[in-house]
Amino acid sequence: MITPIVGFLLQTNDDPIREEIGRLQRNFQGLIWGFVAAWAILLVYILMLTMRERKLRREMERLKSMIEEPEKN
Amino acid sequence: MIVMLALAAVLLVRNLYNISVLPDETNQGQIFRIIFFHVPAAAVAMVGSAVALLASVMFLITKNFKYDALAVAITEVGLAFLAVNLVTGSIWARVIWGVWWAWDPRLTSALICWILYAGYLILRQSLEEPTQRATFAAVYSIFAFTDVPIVYFSIRWWRTIHPQPVFFSKNGSFPADWTLTLVLNIVALSLLYAVLTMVRLRQENTQREIDYLRRTVHAIS
Repeated sequence: MITPIVGFLLQTNDDPIREEIGRLQRNFQGLIWGFVAAWAILLVYILMLTMRERKLRREMERLKSMIEEPEKN
Repeated sequence: MIVMLALAAVLLVRNLYNISVLPDETNQGQIFRIIFFHVPAAAVAMVGSAVALLASVMFLITKNFKYDALAVAITEVGLAFLAVNLVTGSIWARVIWGVWWAWDPRLTSALICWILYAGYLILRQSLEEPTQRATFAAVYSIFAFTDVPIVYFSIRWWRTIHPQPVFFSKNGSFPADWTLTLVLNIVALSLLYAVLTMVRLRQENTQREIDYLRRTVHAIS
């Protein structure tokens, strides 16, 4: 008779604690995701800059060689 | 440039340590620490848009292409920082407000600002002739800047769910040592912004050189 009541009380007493633990976990996960997202955006942009830099260099070399070739001939 | 990048890295590592040892905020808990990236990203992006405005005005006055190059470089980097501001804000909102996004005046005006500056880059892609491209882009950049004061003052002009300013204001409740960490993070991100702008500016100059070489190749062939 008493056991289910104790079980019920323990359950109700546990809920706010679990809720608080859950809130803290979501809070911490949110912080980590925020930092990860911030740096990921900047990293992706830096990668885009690097790729564009390579493309421009290749194009520059190609055009320079095209100009130099007729001069040699 | 390398010195600036090294200084930015040192400051960011130092600030990350400082942020990690700060006590939790009473109401928000740990998530409040996101403010140390959310606000500096917005601050540097706003300063960047003001510089882009000045560069655009200077281009229209002088027709000197170095101002056009500066405007495009600083706008593109600013767009990345504004994206950081929007995304960190959205994650913060999910934890505190329970929603990823709210059509609140501050959030909406910031999103419009991002779309306007993205439009600036799309406009540049769509125009071939350099003088026409630079002129149209400069006029557009001046128009796009009109949204920046709206973003800044939106939380004062309208009732919003976005918090009111907590730094350097009479109603502010940010402790002085936290403000110092925030200011140092603004300095660190400003240095990073400056370095990325310099790299982008160099690319823009290389692109102009390539355009010149292309014309030379066409003239030869």
